[in-house]
Amino acid sequence: MTEPGTTPASAADALAEIHARRDQVVTATLIPHWYWPALGGLIIAFTAAVETHRPWVVAVGSVAYAIGLAAVVGRVVVRHRAQVRTSLIGVHGAITIAGYVLVLVALSVGTGFAAEAAGLAWPATIGAITTAAAMTATGLPLMRYLRRVMITRPLGGGR
Amino acid sequence: MSTPRFDELIHAPTRLSLVSLLAATEWAEFRYLREHLGLSDSALSKQLTTLEQAGYVTIRKSFVGKRPRTSVTLSSAGRAAFDGHVAALQEIVARSGLTVLPGG
Repeated sequence: MTEPGTTPASAADALAEIHARRDQVVTATLIPHWYWPALGGLIIAFTAAVETHRPWVVAVGSVAYAIGLAAVVGRVVVRHRAQVRTSLIGVHGAITIAGYVLVLVALSVGTGFAAEAAGLAWPATIGAITTAAAMTATGLPLMRYLRRVMITRPLGGGR
Repeated sequence: MSTPRFDELIHAPTRLSLVSLLAATEWAEFRYLREHLGLSDSALSKQLTTLEQAGYVTIRKSFVGKRPRTSVTLSSAGRAAFDGHVAALQEIVARSGLTVLPGG
């Protein structure tokens, strides 16, 4: 190994620069805060359309949902000019994301069945509203958590 | 765990920043790198050419619709060199008793 003229201080500076650049990549590629309420709103509208049980409303709602979803996801994809390295997420991050999705699905289904059992009108929509509210409230904290997971991973091939 | 190997090509300040960005990505667009590094097109091209000649990056040119898009990927050789360089830096720091804490 050669390290011409590299002092411990300049090596520490270089490592700090590497950390800072990784943080820059991770922060720039996180899902933006507006994504969660936008997706939640689409889910509520689609569920409500289906729950009307009127074919034309279901048809219009389905098309509107598909267009809206494409627009929301497309906007997120288009603004990404770099793809964060998937290995930075790691097993812990992947389990967190999978758990988050499962909890949201369970919340939606559980609330919907509970609303139906209670004799409330529009039970599935109530479930969707609960899920959308949960997504809006927890989307940003989830991103903050994933950012922390990614930027605190050891540098240089998992050392 | 990588073998410590100080890499002078990577250690040059601008290239260290460039390779650090690329190491955190699967790929990055030329425009993204230029904006985040605050470099001119020609300065970034020069650095990328140096890294490409060393086999450290792969540059792909394509079109998205009618727009040309240049994306850059750190090659496996580049990633290995970067990991070895990080290990070398960590070793230098560790020997001195200094510590570097990741941002948060």
